[in-house]
Amino acid sequence: MFIERRPVFPLFPLKSIQASIVFAFSCLILIAIAATSLIGYRLSVAAVENNSKGYIKEVINQVNTNIQSYVDNMENISLLAMTNKDVKYYISSSSFIVDGERRPYEKRISDLFQSILYTRKDIASIMVFGYNGRFVSDRRITTLNPNAKLEEQAWYKNAKLAGGKSVISAPHVQNILQNEYRWVVSLSRELKNVDGLTADGIFLVDMNLNVINDLCSQINLGRKGYVFIVDQDGNIVYHPQQQLIYSNLRTEPIEEVRSAASGTTFKVDDDGGKRFYSVKATSFGWKIVGVAYEDDLIGYKSTLGNTILLTVVGIAISLLISVVLSHRLSRPIRNLQRKMRMVEKGNFNVKAEVGQMNEIGQLARTFNMMVGKIKNLMQEIIDTQEYKRKSELQLLQAQINPHFLYNTLDSIVWMAEQKQHEEVVLMTSALAKLFRASITKDQELVPVRVEIEHITNYLLIQKMRYSNKLDYRLEIAEAAFGYRTLKILLQPFVENAIYHGIRNKPGIGTITIRGMEKDDQLVFEVEDDGLGMTEEQLERIWEPPGGELRRKGIGISNVDERIKLYFGHAYGVKIRSELAVGTCVTIAIPKLPPEVAASASGTTPKLPIQG
Amino acid sequence: MKVQRFTVALALVLIGAALFFVFYFNLYHVGPAGERTVVVMLKTSNVRSDFWQTVSYGAEAAAKEAGAKLEVLGPLQENDTAAQLQLLEETLASKPDAVVVAPINNDGVLDMLGRIQRAGIELVVMDTPLRMEGNPARVSGNHREAGRQAGRFAAQETGGQPVVAIISDYAGSGVSIEREMGIKSAITPDSYTDTYYIGDSEDQAYLAAKKILAAQPPVNVMMALCEPAALGAAKALKEAHRTGTVRLIAFDSSLYEIKLLEEGSLNAIIVQRPFNMGYLGVKNALRQLEGKRIAQETWIDTLVVTKENMYSPENQKLLFPFK
Repeated sequence: MFIERRPVFPLFPLKSIQASIVFAFSCLILIAIAATSLIGYRLSVAAVENNSKGYIKEVINQVNTNIQSYVDNMENISLLAMTNKDVKYYISSSSFIVDGERRPYEKRISDLFQSILYTRKDIASIMVFGYNGRFVSDRRITTLNPNAKLEEQAWYKNAKLAGGKSVISAPHVQNILQNEYRWVVSLSRELKNVDGLTADGIFLVDMNLNVINDLCSQINLGRKGYVFIVDQDGNIVYHPQQQLIYSNLRTEPIEEVRSAASGTTFKVDDDGGKRFYSVKATSFGWKIVGVAYEDDLIGYKSTLGNTILLTVVGIAISLLISVVLSHRLSRPIRNLQRKMRMVEKGNFNVKAEVGQMNEIGQLARTFNMMVGKIKNLMQEIIDTQEYKRKSELQLLQAQINPHFLYNTLDSIVWMAEQKQHEEVVLMTSALAKLFRASITKDQELVPVRVEIEHITNYLLIQKMRYSNKLDYRLEIAEAAFGYRTLKILLQPFVENAIYHGIRNKPGIGTITIRGMEKDDQLVFEVEDDGLGMTEEQLERIWEPPGGELRRKGIGISNVDERIKLYFGHAYGVKIRSELAVGTCVTIAIPKLPPEVAASASGTTPKLPIQG
Repeated sequence: MKVQRFTVALALVLIGAALFFVFYFNLYHVGPAGERTVVVMLKTSNVRSDFWQTVSYGAEAAAKEAGAKLEVLGPLQENDTAAQLQLLEETLASKPDAVVVAPINNDGVLDMLGRIQRAGIELVVMDTPLRMEGNPARVSGNHREAGRQAGRFAAQETGGQPVVAIISDYAGSGVSIEREMGIKSAITPDSYTDTYYIGDSEDQAYLAAKKILAAQPPVNVMMALCEPAALGAAKALKEAHRTGTVRLIAFDSSLYEIKLLEEGSLNAIIVQRPFNMGYLGVKNALRQLEGKRIAQETWIDTLVVTKENMYSPENQKLLFPFK
């Protein structure tokens, strides 16, 4: 046996298949896109980090090379001065230059310095200070600042301590010349005597700090990135926001910079934002540090932007595709569902269109077959029911009321006792004909003549019984005899007219039976001038027979039903009645020509009549 | 098949819309979006005013750090009220996000600042203590503390026995009043002799200093609250050969004052940190724009610079502004 398994939780908690499909597709696509973009994002972040690190390194190297070249240049100038004979002689402690001969020496040295200065924009001043108290600069007339003591200057002291090696100072204000306060970086070096042992003086080259400043401020490391320089002791040589650092409004990870090896990069992530520090050491002890903000790098932004763009577009397209696809997939199902709903409402004439022969096509075909079968079965049931009802009604109508039989026989007996032989013969033969009509079961439809004969017999018997009360008239048009009618159609109405209309009426009552053509109908009228009925009685007459009524005979509604079953709803019984005036029953049936009557009736039962 | 075609059309329209929006916002965000405009209005934009130039360097540093757009304005002459009013009017018309202003103390300027504030522009006031309705955030040197520093330095230099005379510019100058109050709060009341007002004339200062030197009891500390006062007093002291015996303490720095300090005519100058003022002014304005709370009053500390420490790396930067 196949056992249907039901999941505890349905996989898709949505009601329609389309929604489920959309849901499933969307999940699938979203997961795929999310995964791809996550991976893409990771990759791009890594790539951006690498790129930016490389870029910063490149920039820092460039700065390093430039600064190094400036310093090398100062170094070269110092070598030039060192090897210059005029300078040597001029500051020599064992100088043979007397004061009178000083001027030409001074002029030559000054000219040399000046010519160097002309070629180099980065150099602010070149000076030589002899331990013998003499000094020369690139100026024609050199006036020292009387308030600045030479021996107290850091560059002077450090050069003396270094003993012949060049010393680079931190940026400072050079105040040795009167009225000049320039920001410079100084290179100073002690000049040795010709013997190479004793020192004769200090040589000083000042480089404009503007040079380094311009160099560093022009560096483009994104909108917020910058470059700063620290010396070997961790003091900040240059920083775009040096003043903020002095007032502790800003800090830099100096210790990390000091411990970082040249050419390395480290990352800092604090409330100042994610940034990379790229460190490069120079040959003279400074470290140049480039700082770049992660969110500031253009490549990073565009990559991220592209990822977002692709993701959004991808999601939009995939959602649309899933909606369209699910719509297409579920459309035949929805069509079928619509057809099923029509069947549900009772319309069995629907036919589902069978598209491709896939699962749904097969489903549609099976559905069509099923609906067809149901339709046939339904029709069969309706037909059977109709037939059953017809035969039932026919049977009911064919019955002779036992009271009537008894009364008639009683009348016959009574007449026989009175030796009224003719009446006995007449009544008995009428009764016999009545019986014959009711027991012949072969034909339901009989010629109008037969029906009239039947009712005449019936009325004959009744007239003989109620001779002093009942009179009747038959007014059947000649044309009416050319048609056929249902068997024992009129008797129930005549019976009613007698029993309910005339019997209790004082005096003689008359029953008139008419038969005529009216348009395309054959119309019979049973009219009496009996008691008549109130409206309530008239209404009650239509109630289906049951209980007592059944015993008495067959109800008006049964006759009406019988007519309608045979001929359709256009036909039937109508009753007019007025209290104390009489009742008129109109029975309308179609005109049925004798020969074709049986086959022309669409509602004639197809099944053979049984028993 | 009508529905089909409709669906396809709808899909195309939606995709188009999605693409458009993504591109639109993407470009919009990658571009100069979120760039705020800050206008800094100085008392003067003259390149020879070291103080205000340094303020503008600080402002630039803050703007660069935050990625904001900066415009620095100011009249060519300090105290040119009409020019500052005109510039403020133009600023208001250009509708920046924030204005950081060092206002000249004048009713017209105050009215204008009120208008700027009512126009929904964030306002931060630098340097000058002033009373105005909107009560904007202020960033200024702590002048009273500067006065106290001067007073303490004077006491320390005179072995706790200062006799102080003050040479001030105008009786109504907010900055000078603060400084004077600071000085008085750091010394005993009987150490204070008198205050002389010299306007902005060096000659008046010279005459005032002479008067002080002749006064009894002998004054041993002169406080010059403005530059002309310092220059005039230094001249008078030099002439009277009292340099060094009568201490001269000045406020703010200029090249002349630095020279005087270097040669010993001035014993100390109390300097502000203009870079920090510009930096914090712009930074506070930007913070306000971001909706963060900032202190109503931001004080910039001051420093006592003497001949001995004037060439320390830190003080060099203050005395000799370098971008």
